[in-house]
Amino acid sequence: MKETLKNFIFAELIYHEDPVSFGDEDNLLDAGLDSMGIMRLIMFAEKEFGVTLPDTEIEPDNVGSLNSLESWIRRSGYAG
Amino acid sequence: MPRDYAGAWEPSVGHYFYLMLLTPFLYQCQQQPDALALQEQDRRVSYRQLLQQAQTIAAALQAKGIQPGQPVAIHLDRGIDAASALFGVLLSGACYVPLDLKNPVARLSFIIADARVRVVIGSRARAPAWLDDSLWLDIASCNEATPATVETPAESLAAILYTSGSTGQPRGVAISHRAISAFTSWASELLRLTPADRIASSAPFFFDLSTFDLYAVLGAGASLHFVPSGLPMAPARLSAWLNERAISGWYTVPSLLAFLTYKGNLAQTPLAGLRFLIFAGEVLPTPALIDLAASLPQTALYNFFGPTETNVCCYWPVARERLVAEQTIPIGLPAAGCELTIDAETGELWVRGPTLASGYWRDGRVQSFMSADGWYATGDRASLEQNEYRFHGRLGRMLKCSGYRVEPAEIETIVNAIPGVKACAVIGMDDPTAGQRPALALVFEQEASIGEIRKVLNRQLPAYMQPSRYLVMEDLPKLANGKLDLQQINNLFETQL
Repeated sequence: MKETLKNFIFAELIYHEDPVSFGDEDNLLDAGLDSMGIMRLIMFAEKEFGVTLPDTEIEPDNVGSLNSLESWIRRSGYAG
Repeated sequence: MPRDYAGAWEPSVGHYFYLMLLTPFLYQCQQQPDALALQEQDRRVSYRQLLQQAQTIAAALQAKGIQPGQPVAIHLDRGIDAASALFGVLLSGACYVPLDLKNPVARLSFIIADARVRVVIGSRARAPAWLDDSLWLDIASCNEATPATVETPAESLAAILYTSGSTGQPRGVAISHRAISAFTSWASELLRLTPADRIASSAPFFFDLSTFDLYAVLGAGASLHFVPSGLPMAPARLSAWLNERAISGWYTVPSLLAFLTYKGNLAQTPLAGLRFLIFAGEVLPTPALIDLAASLPQTALYNFFGPTETNVCCYWPVARERLVAEQTIPIGLPAAGCELTIDAETGELWVRGPTLASGYWRDGRVQSFMSADGWYATGDRASLEQNEYRFHGRLGRMLKCSGYRVEPAEIETIVNAIPGVKACAVIGMDDPTAGQRPALALVFEQEASIGEIRKVLNRQLPAYMQPSRYLVMEDLPKLANGKLDLQQINNLFETQL
């Protein structure tokens, strides 16, 4: 899942970081992920993983790194 | 044509009457010293306390030898301390240069040198190790004192705001007390601000949006509430915060309003006290505006428009019944006493009037950007339809990336200085997230890698200026007249996708 998220983020939302050296705990918000980026990321993740990510849970703690994104999506009922 | 708003606030308060931009605020300090002025998280500051802190900072600046008109940089994130520092700078007669602390050191130190900053105000917690110690003023080290009063004529500079420069380097827009006052007094009247208002503030002080928050709001005796820094990334908590704080107005950017509209849980969060929302800096897509208007039926919505050089020169009170999803909204009517005209040949929007900045800050002096009769050519394409202005994009090469101005020349200057690079060109590509992103076409002279280029750009430029795509070419395409064929480069990037 992290690979899929990472591919989407670095193809569509953040361009200047080197995806190879970007770690799973590295801060996506510091790397330039902004509110519009988060909106597209959520749309992508909901479609790709068949989950609903509640608006009330959109938080820096849930979208701040690849690891936190993954655990948020898994908590939201991803069965894959 | 008389453009001088001096005197608009004249019959006022004691010996400060000449401090035009702060005069309405100082008047409020007399009228209601104990009213709430600023709130940041749980920290609350009254008008009296804010004035006292500003006076303390002004006295410390004067003790450091600051003279009227000299630039003082603000190395603080938006909030109570930064606002006190800005007011302190103005009370001392100097002008402020707010820094974007997200900028790389190379860019910050360029700005400090280019502006000829005499003092940098900041806090010990984030003291920049690279800064010359003699410039530093720790905000916590200032002892309570009363500054000497200085005369501040209306045309003296209040702020220098740095934006991307078409000359290849960041460029400071030098703005007078008169120009900011002209905008804030107009806006205050338009929105009928009163001491009962509670206004949210999210704009960094290096954006001209912040002049509304600081001078219109505090000039009206209202209170200003800083949106906590994590909230723009947590839309449901943001709307809950707006609700709990009983916010009555907010001047912000379209991307944040779109986020709030679609992810802000507005159906469950009434925002009944929100009288108005203003947006500027980017184009708000009409479908998002339609949804926002439906979610907030009681809130008056305004589209403000204008480059930093003019502050707000045009505005449109959103007419809900006229919103059509497929049509972009107008930028509307001339604002704040500005005159607008459209150059018949090029379609370029020209502006003149009281909100115009004095010029660009170069070599420690103001260099005018106006024609002999006071017009500023904005570089924006516009049209006039049924007495309303409409915006149709840029004439020149400037890009708008995540709400920030980006001049391709600034990126090109850095790339051209990298060993191994023979030539380069930056164009803008449309991007659903950022609006536009820079894309970089390169010609190498000798072996060099894109990784190396990227490393240099990461070190020297902020995130929003980083190229989204790279293209290595044998040669850059030229037009018959020898100029770069930017359209051709654009097409190459498009077909590469």
